[in-house]
Amino acid sequence: MSQQPLAPAALDDAASQRSQVASDAVGAVIEAPRPGQTIEAVHLDPTRSAVRHELPEDVELALALNNVSVFYGAFQAVDRISLQIPRNRVTALIGPSGCGKSTLLRCLNRMNDLIPSARVEGHIRFGELDLLSPKIDAVDVRRRIGMVFQKPNPFPKSIYENVAFGARINGYSGDMDRLVEDALRRAALWDEVRDDLGKSGLALSGGQQQRLCIARAIAVQPEVILMDEPASALDPVATLKIEDLMRELAEDYTIVVVTHNMQQAGRVSDFTAFLLAGEERTGRLVEFGPTTEIFTNPTDPRTEDYITGRYG
Amino acid sequence: MSFTTRGTAPAFRPRLALRRLFSSTFLLGCFIAICVGVVLLGALVIEVVVDGGSVPFAPPSAASLPDGMGWLAWAFPIAVLTPFLLPRLAHRRSELAPPAFAALCVLSALPAAIFGHLIYVGFEDAYYVKTGGHIFDLLSEATAWQTFRIVLVGLLLPGGLLAVAWRGARRLRSPSLVWPAVILAAWGFYLFLEPGFLSSPPSQSPDRIGIFPALVGTLYMMTITAAAAFPLGIGAAIYLEEYARRNWFSRFIQVNIANLAGVPSIVYGLLGLQLFVRVLEFDRSVLAGALTMALLVMPIIIVSAQESLRAVPPSMREAAYAVGATRWQVIRHHVLPYAFGGMLTGNILAMSRAIGETAPLIAMGALTFIAFLPDTPTDDFTVLPIQIFNWVTRPQSAFHEVAASTILILLLILLLMNSAAIIMRHRSRTEW
Ligand SMILES: Nc1ncnc2c1ncn2[C@@H]1O[C@H](COP(=O)(O)OP(=O)(O)O)[C@@H](O)[C@H]1O
Ligand SMILES: [Mg+2]
Repeated sequence: MSQQPLAPAALDDAASQRSQVASDAVGAVIEAPRPGQTIEAVHLDPTRSAVRHELPEDVELALALNNVSVFYGAFQAVDRISLQIPRNRVTALIGPSGCGKSTLLRCLNRMNDLIPSARVEGHIRFGELDLLSPKIDAVDVRRRIGMVFQKPNPFPKSIYENVAFGARINGYSGDMDRLVEDALRRAALWDEVRDDLGKSGLALSGGQQQRLCIARAIAVQPEVILMDEPASALDPVATLKIEDLMRELAEDYTIVVVTHNMQQAGRVSDFTAFLLAGEERTGRLVEFGPTTEIFTNPTDPRTEDYITGRYG
Repeated sequence: MSFTTRGTAPAFRPRLALRRLFSSTFLLGCFIAICVGVVLLGALVIEVVVDGGSVPFAPPSAASLPDGMGWLAWAFPIAVLTPFLLPRLAHRRSELAPPAFAALCVLSALPAAIFGHLIYVGFEDAYYVKTGGHIFDLLSEATAWQTFRIVLVGLLLPGGLLAVAWRGARRLRSPSLVWPAVILAAWGFYLFLEPGFLSSPPSQSPDRIGIFPALVGTLYMMTITAAAAFPLGIGAAIYLEEYARRNWFSRFIQVNIANLAGVPSIVYGLLGLQLFVRVLEFDRSVLAGALTMALLVMPIIIVSAQESLRAVPPSMREAAYAVGATRWQVIRHHVLPYAFGGMLTGNILAMSRAIGETAPLIAMGALTFIAFLPDTPTDDFTVLPIQIFNWVTRPQSAFHEVAASTILILLLILLLMNSAAIIMRHRSRTEW
């Protein structure tokens, strides 16, 4: 057995199956290693120490990143980032363009595996698993951690097929029609497309396409949904719809959203991580904490500059 | 004056309809131009290659049709065109009601069915049943197998027309007229041919000559070539594009494939001679020729298939991976369907290269005079280009005329294949 299988989580009792990640101290990301696991403790190097605000007592963690670095060939895009992603909350990654937000997000479901030059170091704890371990099958990771992309990218197939595809290839044997309807309802798209599910997904408007992509992600019944600037290609009305949707989805899913829109981060997210790249274009974490504190009481002067609009 | 957008909408309708009318007239013009072009091309070749050109060509009097069937010369084009043009002209805005349209198709397909019989009767007539080409005589004397094939041709042709016409009428889109145009061009050409030219074996006397064995040999060889080259070529492309690591070895293979595409075809002929004819002892058979051709066109197929795989947008692959698809699932469900049109186009273009290749087959020692049909893949055979080569090398000018008309047939087959490729490429672009 070379790859450690992940247990398939059903939608209803998924919450009970998800194992808990302790969050005893801020900064100490991961509890003591279990047998067979090698997760190093975080060494807080003063030159790269980020400001970390206290997380509320009641949050459970969905994901914990420990010293995650990403290289594209010889170029280091992200430098030793450690932060925690609370469960059933919206966590926003903000920062100027090119600071490595997308790169970091794509580590969380091993999408960087698809880029031949990319190399990821560090650990990402998900339940009891280390997502970055070579023992773990990236396909299983992506089944449990879904993704919505910056540019809506529905398959050039019918709306129904778009939603059903993920479930079908993952061996879903239940009532497919109901699953499709559920997913479309949850993505707030059902009322608009219920009468022409056979229509091509590409025939929808941009905002509808993006909601279709969200439905497609939901239909696989993931635990975490990653969104990379999901509204940046949309008009303000469609953007608001997506934001509302994010808030609703956060009741059942952990959401990590990349955005470079400050107002959007303020509106939708519970927690915010601010990343910044220096001269060498390597992204580092500057500040992480509850959104309200980051926005009203930023500790690092660079965070304050960014939030008040002094960067681009 | 109120600014309502609704009030202006109806004003646009007649203009739209006018545009459609114009476009169908335009297409009709294109069609006529194609027909005239083919005829002119034929005349030109006759003028240039031979002088006189009286032997294989009859005056445009439907010479190739049996007595009493001359009306088919014009009835068939009308039958083919009606289902395409009628919805365009009569119903400017939308298609005909489906039942009316179906009835129209069936009616207009009847002459086409008779035409289908006739094509086949022509073949059977020359080879098996010497009845003088009367359908009912033929049917009464035909064996069960012959009847089956006659009915098949009679049904397939109108069936295919019907399907094309149905799509054409539903969409009212321009490509739908290309097929009838091509079919009619072929029909017009067929009417010019001396009776029996397509359906007789070669002979020592030029006025009884025919190209049937070469035509069948060409189709036979192309079928085997395609069956061997498509799966291998497309499989190799998928491996190289989707699975192979980018290292020195895959780069080496890649460069070699590109080089193989440029190797002179005579070299492939020598390879085929040694490998298939001598070592594997296939002799100078259809199989040996087809496999040599498969080697020859494989690089073209691989390179064009790789290009269509590369054209698949990365965002689509990412989308599929992000819902937990494995690499094979991504390829099977998304990449291949997307790249299929391009691959098919490349394949057809590769086939149209193979169909005209002469050198490798001559190097292999394919025969030039074959008066019978290949039955099994290990039989001797000949193909159109070799037949042409043979006739051109004869001193008598009558054989040169025969060669000229054979060249026209070969060009026509090429034209058909390439227009199929164009249509498929167009379709794969617009539907995805
Ligand atoms: N596939 C790649 N290959 C090489 N460099 C990349 C690749 N993707 C991103 N980068 C580089 O990594 C850095 C971070 O990019 P990205 O994560 O897309 O930033 P953001 O999403 O914050 O705008 C940039 O300097 C970018 O040029
Ligand atoms: Mg980005």
